[in-house]
Amino acid sequence: MATPVAAVELKRPTPLRLPQRVLPGFGLTLGYTMVYLSLLVLIPLSAVFIRSLGLGWGHFWDVVTAPRVIASLRLSFGASLIAALINVIFGLNVAWVLVRYTFPFKRLVDAIVDLPFALPTAVAGIALTALYAPNGWLGIWLLSFGIKVAFTPLGIVVALTFIGLPFVVRTLQPVLEDLDKEVEQAAATLGASAVQAFARVVLPALWPALLTGFALSFARAVGEYGSVIFIAGNMPMKSEIAPLLIVTKLEQYDYAGATAIAVVMLVLSFALMLGINALQHWALVRHGER
Amino acid sequence: MSIALRGITKQFGEFAAVKNIDLDVPTGALIALLGPSGCGKTTLLRIIAGLETPDEGQVLFDGRDATLWPIRDRNVGFVFQHYALFHHMSVFENVAFGLKVKPRRERPSRPEIRKKVHSLLELVQLGWAGERYPAQLSGGQRQRVALARALAVDPDVLLLDEPFGALDSQVRHELRRWLRRLHDELHFTSIFVTHDQQEAIEVADTIVVLNQGRIEQSGVPSEVYDLPTSAFVHRFLGQVNELPVQLRDGRAYVGPIDISPAADVSSGATNSIALIRPHEIEIGPEAVGWPAIVIAVRVIGPIVRLELSAQGLPVNEPLEAEISRERYEGERFSVGQKVGLRLRRWQVYPASGAVA
Amino acid sequence: MASAEARIAGRRPAPSRLLLIAVALLFLGLFLVLPLLVVFVQALAKGASAYVAAICDPVAWAAVKLTLTVAAIAVPCNLVFGVAAAWAIAKFEFRGKSTLITLIDLPFAVSPVIAGLVFILLFGSHGWFGGYLRVHHIRVVFAVPGIVLATIFVTFPFIARELIPVMQAQGKDDEETALSLGATGWQTFWRVTLPNIRWGLMYGVLLCNARAMGEFGAVSVVSGHIRGLTNTMPLHIEILYNEYNYTAAFAVASLLALLALLTLAGKSFLEWRQPELRHAVAQARDRTRRENT
Repeated sequence: MATPVAAVELKRPTPLRLPQRVLPGFGLTLGYTMVYLSLLVLIPLSAVFIRSLGLGWGHFWDVVTAPRVIASLRLSFGASLIAALINVIFGLNVAWVLVRYTFPFKRLVDAIVDLPFALPTAVAGIALTALYAPNGWLGIWLLSFGIKVAFTPLGIVVALTFIGLPFVVRTLQPVLEDLDKEVEQAAATLGASAVQAFARVVLPALWPALLTGFALSFARAVGEYGSVIFIAGNMPMKSEIAPLLIVTKLEQYDYAGATAIAVVMLVLSFALMLGINALQHWALVRHGER
Repeated sequence: MSIALRGITKQFGEFAAVKNIDLDVPTGALIALLGPSGCGKTTLLRIIAGLETPDEGQVLFDGRDATLWPIRDRNVGFVFQHYALFHHMSVFENVAFGLKVKPRRERPSRPEIRKKVHSLLELVQLGWAGERYPAQLSGGQRQRVALARALAVDPDVLLLDEPFGALDSQVRHELRRWLRRLHDELHFTSIFVTHDQQEAIEVADTIVVLNQGRIEQSGVPSEVYDLPTSAFVHRFLGQVNELPVQLRDGRAYVGPIDISPAADVSSGATNSIALIRPHEIEIGPEAVGWPAIVIAVRVIGPIVRLELSAQGLPVNEPLEAEISRERYEGERFSVGQKVGLRLRRWQVYPASGAVA
Repeated sequence: MASAEARIAGRRPAPSRLLLIAVALLFLGLFLVLPLLVVFVQALAKGASAYVAAICDPVAWAAVKLTLTVAAIAVPCNLVFGVAAAWAIAKFEFRGKSTLITLIDLPFAVSPVIAGLVFILLFGSHGWFGGYLRVHHIRVVFAVPGIVLATIFVTFPFIARELIPVMQAQGKDDEETALSLGATGWQTFWRVTLPNIRWGLMYGVLLCNARAMGEFGAVSVVSGHIRGLTNTMPLHIEILYNEYNYTAAFAVASLLALLALLTLAGKSFLEWRQPELRHAVAQARDRTRRENT
């Protein structure tokens, strides 16, 4: 295979000598940015890692492999995965409908998509619980089919879906808007059916955006606390998410335990983000810049 | 395959894109739809392709009503102005797409597909580029991929929307000649859209000039160029000088020159305008014809353009005349020189209908 | 054969288009609209007087005041930071720029609970600075400063990430023109840059404020839940809810829900004023990634 041009250009180093600056304030603003960032984000975050080093490997391993911790991590990541997948499917549906079709109250619908960004998580939490509790509007109906949502892991998935939806929709929308309709039309003139055109032409173009939306939605869900704790039921080993376990350990003044779980969560989240970034990077290099 | 349009009309909201258009394209023809932007030429092309449905009228393919046929049943090849290549597919995959999406029983085998794609890539002189991605190709190369892709499904008709519009002039010139050769070799019916009269004249057998959703004139290029039937066509195909026509004593004058016998001046038009192409102005000695003064000389490659201030015309509206380089080398007109003009061929149109 | 037009332009034939719209609206209705609705219905379930009583409760008022105070400190802090960071990143070229942008986004990838935890580890009684603070009788954790710090942390990227793409899109021609006409750096900033970015700025402030007022997890960890002193509105809602005082919980929640609706309205207004704002962040992310590729 021929060497992609983009991959070659990737290696070009940034020139060492900084270009001459005309505008003032570079030192001031960059300096302030670095100091503020370090004081409020980097140093505090590093405290978690440094504290966890003080635990010693053996203690750290004991804490994070405790069955209750494993169960909570599995629940947090598992429920987030399911919620993010639901959001990818329905988020694509919503974004598609908002970009491609016209219907009454479209602008209102478009605005409401951001509700999870704007609505405090605690409010979302009690609202969802009220809806899905066995005597709630939806809970009572679902119960008649034997489905319990509130106070089960299913409830957690519902809350995390609520939280993550706008990430997928808002990532997809600009890409869908930019997507050249002529490309689909070209597929049609070449004899592709609507389904073929979507699967072979549209979906591959959306792939990076879908991944980004998935990753953002997933990352937010993994750390989510406020909307989940009301609806989860919080039964250890069953419906206790990892962030809640951190809070529980803190309330028992078990700082070491809380720190250890926090480190595992951070490392897993960062690793996942890096992996997805690498995947997108690979996709972009492979196809050349658009 | 022959194509016929019968009374095609298409509205976009308030805007009437094409109005009651009739057009016949015989099998094997290479036709240019020429007009300014917004004249409806692209809409017409998309209606033929099935990318738009007309509000009224019929599209006939070989005499059969194809107006409501789905695009995929029309067997047309469509080349988009901005190529519309699939970015995530290699050049090979792009060209093979149309073959791979065929229903299983019509789909060629893998080796057949490979053979066909390679021969098409050879045809467009891109045999080396199969594994490249569109982003790694130049504009002209992308356009050739788009053509190969359209040809892969053996279309009966090839439709091209401003096929060379986004390319620089050198590449454009090359591709025009290449398209003409390709058409002569493969004998499909081709229709292309352009706003460039030069391109239309160079490539097409027949030019259809469109304006505001209607056909102004159609015919072979030389006929449309030399014998325009409206001021619009006259202006659109090439340079023109616009001269007010004065009516005196039942005769028509441009400046002091009586043009009445040569042109059919409809008696009612008090306000008329004469259009004359620069190369139809004959420049002679001062004593003969319409007196004028040379005010500028520009040598443009093989031709020389003179700006002339003619008697009776406003000074700020000089005439433009074009003569050959050889002629100029012989006569050496210079700025300030007094000359006499003779008008070889012109048309007179009512001034009111002369909106460009 | 109405599908002729429908198949092109990515439009599905009418039935499947209606189906897609219906599914999308049903999903949004179920997951977004219904929860919003239930807040107001529950808040008014026991009548208007119960609603008013719940809101006028002095403890509730203390929570409202604390929430406003915290937002009034955290938002301006992040505003100044956002403008400084956007100026440095959008107007200059330097090594490590994309790393810096990633670091600014970092708090988005951190669980709010962990955001709270880090400040406990620093300023708690067993934290790095715990001893020093105890000696000097300064309370950070389980007091207002801790709540402010945690809020700043979780809302850290909001304004910067809105402003960076806006400023990048504007380039530096305007500023260079102003300087060439003899303006000083400050004059250029106040008279040229700031008016240019004002909509983006308001957009960022709006989103930052919504999150600052609504933050729950981080604040919950550092607050200590002292009624009337360190309870913000979201924390107050939790306490009421856990005490089975649903009407009061939803009454306070309805205030925050109104805030959310106002935020959405403001957001829509700003997007109407400057449509580029809508996707500025997503497109900037895309562009940065492409440049890095």
